[in-house]
Amino acid sequence: MELGTKLYTKLKGDHAIWMIVIVLALFSVLIVYSSTGHIAFKERGGNTEFYLMKHLIFIVGGLVLTFACYQMHYTRFLRISPLLLLFSIPLLVYTIAFGTDVNQARRWIELPFIEMTFQTSDFAKLALIIYVARAISSKQEYIKDFKSGFLPIVMPIIIICGLIAPADLSTAMLLFFTCLLMMIMGRVALRDISWLVLMGVATFGFLIALGTQYPDMIRVTTWVNRMNEFLDNTDGGYQIQQAKIAIADGGLFGLGPGNSIQRNFLPAPYSDFIFAIIIEEYGLIGAFTVIAMYVLLFFRIVRIITNSPKAFGAMLVLGLGLIICIQALANIAVSVHLVPVTGLTLPMISMGGTSIIFSSIAFGMILSVSRYIEKI
Amino acid sequence: MADIKNEVLYRVYGVLALIVLLAMVLFGKVVKIQIAEGDKWRRQGDKKVKFEKVIAERGNIYSEDGKLLATSLPFFEIRFDLNSSAMSEKDFNENVDSLAYCLATFVDNIYELTPGGYRQLLIDQRAAGERYMLIKKNVTYTELEKIEKFPLFNLGQYRGGFIVRRESKRDPPFKMLAHRTIGYVREGANKVGLEGFFDEDLGGTAGKKLMQKVGNDIWIPVNDLTEIEPENGQDLVTTINVELQETAQTALVRALNFHDADHGCAVIMEVKTGAIRAIANVGKTEKGTLWETYNHAVGDAVEPGSTFKLAPMMALLDKGAISLGDSINLEEGRTTFYEEIMEDSSPHGLEKTTVRRAFELSSNVGIAKMVEGTYGNEGGAIEFINQLRKYNLHLPTGIQIEGEASPFIKEAYNKEMEWSGITLPWMSIGYEVLITPLQLLTFYNAVANDGQMMRPYLVSEIQDFGVTTRKYKPTVIKKSIAKPETIAQAKSLLEGVVKRGTARKLDTDRYNFAGKTGTAQIDYRKFNRQRTNLKHRASFVGYFPAEDPVYSCIVMVTNPRQNGIYGADVAGPVFREIADKCYATRIEMHRPINSYAKPKLVNYELPAMEIGKKESVNYLLDYFKLPHQNRAATDWTVIQAERDTVVMLPRDLSDSVIPNVKGMTLMDAVYVLENLGLNVIASGVGKVHHQSILAGTKARNQTIKIRLN
Repeated sequence: MELGTKLYTKLKGDHAIWMIVIVLALFSVLIVYSSTGHIAFKERGGNTEFYLMKHLIFIVGGLVLTFACYQMHYTRFLRISPLLLLFSIPLLVYTIAFGTDVNQARRWIELPFIEMTFQTSDFAKLALIIYVARAISSKQEYIKDFKSGFLPIVMPIIIICGLIAPADLSTAMLLFFTCLLMMIMGRVALRDISWLVLMGVATFGFLIALGTQYPDMIRVTTWVNRMNEFLDNTDGGYQIQQAKIAIADGGLFGLGPGNSIQRNFLPAPYSDFIFAIIIEEYGLIGAFTVIAMYVLLFFRIVRIITNSPKAFGAMLVLGLGLIICIQALANIAVSVHLVPVTGLTLPMISMGGTSIIFSSIAFGMILSVSRYIEKI
Repeated sequence: MADIKNEVLYRVYGVLALIVLLAMVLFGKVVKIQIAEGDKWRRQGDKKVKFEKVIAERGNIYSEDGKLLATSLPFFEIRFDLNSSAMSEKDFNENVDSLAYCLATFVDNIYELTPGGYRQLLIDQRAAGERYMLIKKNVTYTELEKIEKFPLFNLGQYRGGFIVRRESKRDPPFKMLAHRTIGYVREGANKVGLEGFFDEDLGGTAGKKLMQKVGNDIWIPVNDLTEIEPENGQDLVTTINVELQETAQTALVRALNFHDADHGCAVIMEVKTGAIRAIANVGKTEKGTLWETYNHAVGDAVEPGSTFKLAPMMALLDKGAISLGDSINLEEGRTTFYEEIMEDSSPHGLEKTTVRRAFELSSNVGIAKMVEGTYGNEGGAIEFINQLRKYNLHLPTGIQIEGEASPFIKEAYNKEMEWSGITLPWMSIGYEVLITPLQLLTFYNAVANDGQMMRPYLVSEIQDFGVTTRKYKPTVIKKSIAKPETIAQAKSLLEGVVKRGTARKLDTDRYNFAGKTGTAQIDYRKFNRQRTNLKHRASFVGYFPAEDPVYSCIVMVTNPRQNGIYGADVAGPVFREIADKCYATRIEMHRPINSYAKPKLVNYELPAMEIGKKESVNYLLDYFKLPHQNRAATDWTVIQAERDTVVMLPRDLSDSVIPNVKGMTLMDAVYVLENLGLNVIASGVGKVHHQSILAGTKARNQTIKIRLN
């Protein structure tokens, strides 16, 4: 306990958010260990510890990154944001052209030497949000002006989202929507926002048209199929049905840690449908806890915004908080069959190196903002 | 500034409210699924999906020389999921015409429909909700490759509804050859042979595939993602030599036909290692044809009869109770033990003779009298039985095959095992004991191997994609089963059987072999009571060449009805045929012509103008100890006599030019010429004497005539 109290007094920043990070990471390790049994048998001859170790390394590495970002003053992110954004564009283009296909979606690139794959959209996501936060805050005085306020914000959004969309429509839409919300809250003129929406729709339409020409590049068929499946089938497709069975099996208290049955039947139980497994093992209590964590996160973010003296800090936590919360809720909405199937992960919980790393960085940045606000 | 901030804050509160609302909706939906729909989903979770085994590809079984003895041929069953959830109306409508055309035209369709009819069938089946329509069974891999490219099917299982179920059929390329030894594994039947014994290695690890129920007992694979790939089985490399196996089988089949016998077996074992080179079992089927119906060599423990006599003989010799030159009274081949009459099987009329002669003639009276005389005293049988155990005759060999029968040697004086006063004499001539042909052969093999008993084995290696994962080395059961002098005497007795005894008509000048005949009576108890037709079991067990044994072999034929009943007449010829074949094909069995001191002043002509592969020529010259000089740097060589040496000169055979093949054997000439792409027409016998196209001509797939003289 000594260490706990010591840590508590030493750690600056929002303690509630620290607690959220820890709780989510704990959940993550438990659920991923339980749900990788099947893939471990499939890929690693039954070595279930392989995935646990790999995941643990990412979680611990992620927490170290959270701490590192929390130590940095958040204005340093502000300075490098245009650079990150510029770098992310060729990265995304490279992914489309030479990326690795996993389940027919080209979202990853192979990292040389360490034999790992890297989901470039996660990087671009973060870069864009920091950039938009910076743009909105630094142009606050003349934000309603079209040329200087609108163009530098909107163009990057359209380009980045347009590049992510072909292989990963849901992430692109999530990012687009988050940026849209940031702009609304950043007082960008309504007229300009409608312009953004219009351009977004136009880009989407263009992609669909292009998809009929290059079906391998742009997954239009998958989008249509998932939409159809969602609309046609009230029970949902196979995956959804399995998720619902998991949810129904969970009951109030769940089947207990490691006792999931549906993990064997659900495709990717450790990422896309991890929420269903959480309910199966930890019941309604677990579901409530996880949802509450994300909602609480946003409450704390609102508190940071209220206390924030600087516009950039406020916009940064808002953007990061929004994307974490919306992605989490979207992932949960898939599991409970409120929206069509997407490939969105549950931030800080789902297995997947890039997802964990960038979620951790996002949390670190939020904590950094909260910390330097306290100082003032 | 404050205004701006407040404006921002109000909007943020709005979003917060939205997020809280959304979270509540999501949680509400979870509750709804759990409570309102809970029963439905829990019920579905119970039985709608299951894991099905994906059988791994079974490993191959190879012969010693790398020929395939058993392999699995894959074949497929093709089904069509016309209502796959991912199949769009558009895909179906666009492709149904061409798919129907392909199915009706290129596949011999089980519905025997025209393209138009097939199209209607597909449309009807889709409307009827069919998810598992049979397209074709027993599809070969080549056919599958064609069918999976058909329109719609080429979209895969999800979008195209293309379902493939893989099965495989076990196929022995050599059919009957060693059929029972290779064996099989079938559901609901006992595992047989090597397939049975090595089932785990051959079978691999089954994978898992998730199957979804789509109708009454109809399951289709859910997807490819959750499948656990099966691990393919490993290959067995056996010790079986296809050529020897074929020889053994052919000889056995001929004997069975000639003698109209019920069944028979022949086993060939390598003396030094215990490796089984051939194991043939032939029996009559119900239809009267001959086939490998049962592994008699391994699975049948029988009363061996006279072939067993070697064991008591060696026991007596080991004990020093007798020596081969001792004299013995055979009582003209008829005596009694406790009022039971014992007779020699063929009349010889001898009274006084030697122990050696008694064995060579296989005299029942002689052997039984010696054993009764030595071990018939109080407690003597215990020593006798212990001696047999020393020869391991009471234990199975532990060969790597399912279903080896255990031998049966009675415990001395054990009444429950029906030990009686006449047990000892009758045991000494091979009755009241049970032993399999393989076990008896193992004993004889030990004698041939100077007393070292080797464990017979059939599998030398287990391989995984050509890489050895386990090796079975020859193993010694017993370092020495008897005194060296006893072994030497036993060997000389067995040689005597062939030279002067019951097997003398099998003797040959070409090589020496040793062995023992056996003619056991089957059903003799019934015969004594009812005088029914007496059945016999004829056998011969031995080894060859006698001086330095390479192979041991046992042949056993049950119930011959015509052309003789004796071991020497029925089983012996099979043994000889096998030995002849081995002798003819295995050069190392021949006595080297020049192994003795070089004869002086012999007028001989050195070979000249012979052409052949350099290594072969070199081997032969070495073998015949002819002085020679190697001057060839080419693969092929021509030899020339120079005074008292043979010189190997280069003979260059280029890739594109027709060579001079004069002087070559037909085999070499055809090999060389056909490798150049020529068509060869040969006539005559001997060596190539004339070729129709001159040496040096460019090879252009011509036809060449060669004449041999």
